[in-house]
Amino acid sequence: MPKPLQDEVRQSPYEKMLQECLRGELRVVNAGLPQSPKLLSNLLNEKYPHAVCNDGSTHFFKKSELEYLASLLDIEEQKALPLPMLIELGANQAEAAIICEGKAEEKVISKALNMPATCEEKRIRIYKPQLALLRRKFRTTTVYVFSPKIVA
Amino acid sequence: MPELIKVRPTKIELVKLKRRLSLAQRVQKIVKDRLSILTMEFLQVARETLEAKRKLLDELSKLYRAISVAAGYHGYIALEKELIATEVDLKVTAGLGNVAGVRIPSFELVGDVKPMKGYNLVDTSSWLDRAAQLSEESLRAIVELAELQRNFELLAMEISRTKRITNALEYIVIPGLQVTINYLNMKFEERDREEKARLKRVKVLVARG
Repeated sequence: MPKPLQDEVRQSPYEKMLQECLRGELRVVNAGLPQSPKLLSNLLNEKYPHAVCNDGSTHFFKKSELEYLASLLDIEEQKALPLPMLIELGANQAEAAIICEGKAEEKVISKALNMPATCEEKRIRIYKPQLALLRRKFRTTTVYVFSPKIVA
Repeated sequence: MPELIKVRPTKIELVKLKRRLSLAQRVQKIVKDRLSILTMEFLQVARETLEAKRKLLDELSKLYRAISVAAGYHGYIALEKELIATEVDLKVTAGLGNVAGVRIPSFELVGDVKPMKGYNLVDTSSWLDRAAQLSEESLRAIVELAELQRNFELLAMEISRTKRITNALEYIVIPGLQVTINYLNMKFEERDREEKARLKRVKVLVARG
């Protein structure tokens, strides 16, 4: 009995190339995301603080940055801060959002940027100049996320 | 002028082309987002590299002056004798980070760096202490500059690669698809008009009997 034609089979080489390009770009930009985020308190005790990324590579954290983060938070909050912090880029190019799970991220962002930061729908929205400032302070403890729904 | 893609003028091809166009536009969107982030990071790294370079030059000129003064005070032979026993191995932790798909290195000096400490404090002056302190600061500045310089190069290379992809999509792939879709649409409209004219003609001929 003949098999029904599938989408993959029907695609032309041109479409396949574009599809691969899209997949490749998404894979490349999100390769640096951690498989499972680590808590600040755990990272502080590691000799070489790092997290394993989606592509199997390691993401290195600078000790000086971790110590700076630790200086902003108390011990309980250090146990609640997952690293690296994820910066999601919105469809609107003027702003970005930091994905936050608890109050620790809010406190870090508000202290680092020296302004009140509020978490809405698990996101802290910041503008591009603030993003540049944040990246300058937390170069290894923040990573960018490109969400497929943004590009859809 | 974008080139027409050679396709058979059928409705199925038109649907396929439309699908390709929407896919190409999605790829373009993500590549553009990535390019904008890379550019932002690049500009920031460029500014920081410039600052780090200036800082390093300042530190080195201060260090050179301090060592000259110390050498003048103690004499070259005595200074060399003191410093020969102070050599220590420096430990630098190196790792990789990721900025929008670019693997960038990061370096960090491990522990307290005391490259010139260990000399006899009784036989030496505070000039040498000052030189030792400045040498520590210079070392930190060198490591910082090394990291920024490499990041600068890697980001620049990735930006030029991404720009080529964006330009190819923006000026060749997408316009080519749009032109072909327009061409096919016009061709179908023309075919419809021809069909209508033909039917009218047939109707007249039938009516005449």
